[in-house]
Amino acid sequence: MNRTLLAFGSGLLGLVLLIFVALSVGSAGTGWGDGGGLVLLRTPRILAALAAGLALGIGGAAQQGVFRNPLADPGLTGVFGGALLGIAILLGATPTLAWQRPWIIPLAAFLGALLTSVLLVLISGRGNTARLLITGLGLNAFTAAGTLVIASRSNESRELLTNGAYGDWLGMATLELIWLPCLLCAVASILLLTLSRSFDLLSFGEDSAQANGCDVNRSRRWTVLLTALAAAAATCLVGQVAFIGLLAPHLARGIIGPRHRLMMPLSGLLGGGLLLCADTIGRAAWPQNPLSAAAVMALLGAPLFIWIARRSHE
Amino acid sequence: MSEIAVQALGVSVDFGGHLALDGASLTLPFGNVTALAGANGAGKTTLLRALAGLIPQATGEMTTAEYDPRTTPPAILASVRAYGAQAAYSAWDFALSDFPFLSSDPVLCDAWLERLELADLRHRRLSQLSVGQKKSAHLALTIASLGEPFGKIILLDEPTVGLDIARQELVQQACLDLAFAGAACVVATHDMNFIRRCHQVAVLSEGRLIAYGTPATTLTPAIIYETWGVS
Repeated sequence: MNRTLLAFGSGLLGLVLLIFVALSVGSAGTGWGDGGGLVLLRTPRILAALAAGLALGIGGAAQQGVFRNPLADPGLTGVFGGALLGIAILLGATPTLAWQRPWIIPLAAFLGALLTSVLLVLISGRGNTARLLITGLGLNAFTAAGTLVIASRSNESRELLTNGAYGDWLGMATLELIWLPCLLCAVASILLLTLSRSFDLLSFGEDSAQANGCDVNRSRRWTVLLTALAAAAATCLVGQVAFIGLLAPHLARGIIGPRHRLMMPLSGLLGGGLLLCADTIGRAAWPQNPLSAAAVMALLGAPLFIWIARRSHE
Repeated sequence: MSEIAVQALGVSVDFGGHLALDGASLTLPFGNVTALAGANGAGKTTLLRALAGLIPQATGEMTTAEYDPRTTPPAILASVRAYGAQAAYSAWDFALSDFPFLSSDPVLCDAWLERLELADLRHRRLSQLSVGQKKSAHLALTIASLGEPFGKIILLDEPTVGLDIARQELVQQACLDLAFAGAACVVATHDMNFIRRCHQVAVLSEGRLIAYGTPATTLTPAIIYETWGVS
């Protein structure tokens, strides 16, 4: 109990400090500006990073829970790629409509993510790490190629889609653009948290979970749907960013143990913190031409990922 | 509540052309421990899983505590029967102290962990436990999930495998005590010692039930020879 309080307490405190720092750095200069003008300017970006990180931390934990595999992550399994491809297809087909109806971009991302999630489940089956990752690799490559093809054929959307593929959309954040994806991130996260008991039961295998009263197929369907929603909403905010859905649950499990009821909220907190931290580092180090959050995340995340892969094999 | 805990009438399970269970029929009362015996691949686990409601494609008639286990929602079924799988698998490295929180009845789970002599190991993670200790911890979780045993059904797949002699005795006694308290306990096991202590034994061979009754009358030399090929 004390450990739980300590973990969440220090996590929240760290997050508050981080938000303080994030509000104070940027291309317009350090500090909060006259009358807090810079604060207003930076708030949407920070909100977007926090919401996307939250959804990714919780979505990653849920995907790992349902696959019972510490290497599952919407970035690695191609679900993100599917979300971006959904957006690319929309922009390629009707570039003007996408900007007239604010809800249509998240919808396209969601359909893309859902389709890849369903394919992932159908192809990879259950439990097998190698099959899961290889299927994810294939889906990732295919969706990335699809996005690239559409980007290279479309003059209007080329830059936008390329930036999305590099996880560089946080810089565009305005309240009008982000409110809906932020809301969807929150909704998906909260609904996924209600499934935490199922993930706990699934820890002991599908037979055991079913025997203990968990409707395994129903839990799996909801998880696929909601992680697709979380990944899609996060993609609308950031573009593609790998490793958060992988690292946040792993760190949370290390700090607080594998019980999902505690681990998932902490994973969400850490996910938000990690993404905001990556974005802030990118902005603080190169204020005039910030490095994308996804690039910073990958630079920090890749070595950690290799370390986790080694450990999970033992 | 009826006296009959579990009833199976001509239950068959076809796993892609392989008939794992071939028209098994049996009726098990509450208050008894029943052993499912038979050679490897005889259908013990399949029968146990079918009775637990884990094989929706099983054919024939089945009732587990008055429910058809194939069509009853998992949550309702979980309130009347528990199922303990053979392998003590866990995807995550829980601490033993997490187990009560994973159980629907934390106090009872704690009590069973203590009864199976795991209380001193509470701070350890699963990766720091032996196979037998892990297995015992899963048993505690399984048994505790039922709450009060009266009128409940407990299906255990090889609960004593990997346990040392002292823990085997603890688990066997636990099964007998649960039955004494009014539960129906069904255990698939190879342990002759355990089988002889059960109230009944059902012997399976190649998916068919070939003998059923008290161990003393059922385990005749002829049946033993037919089942295991040893005399």
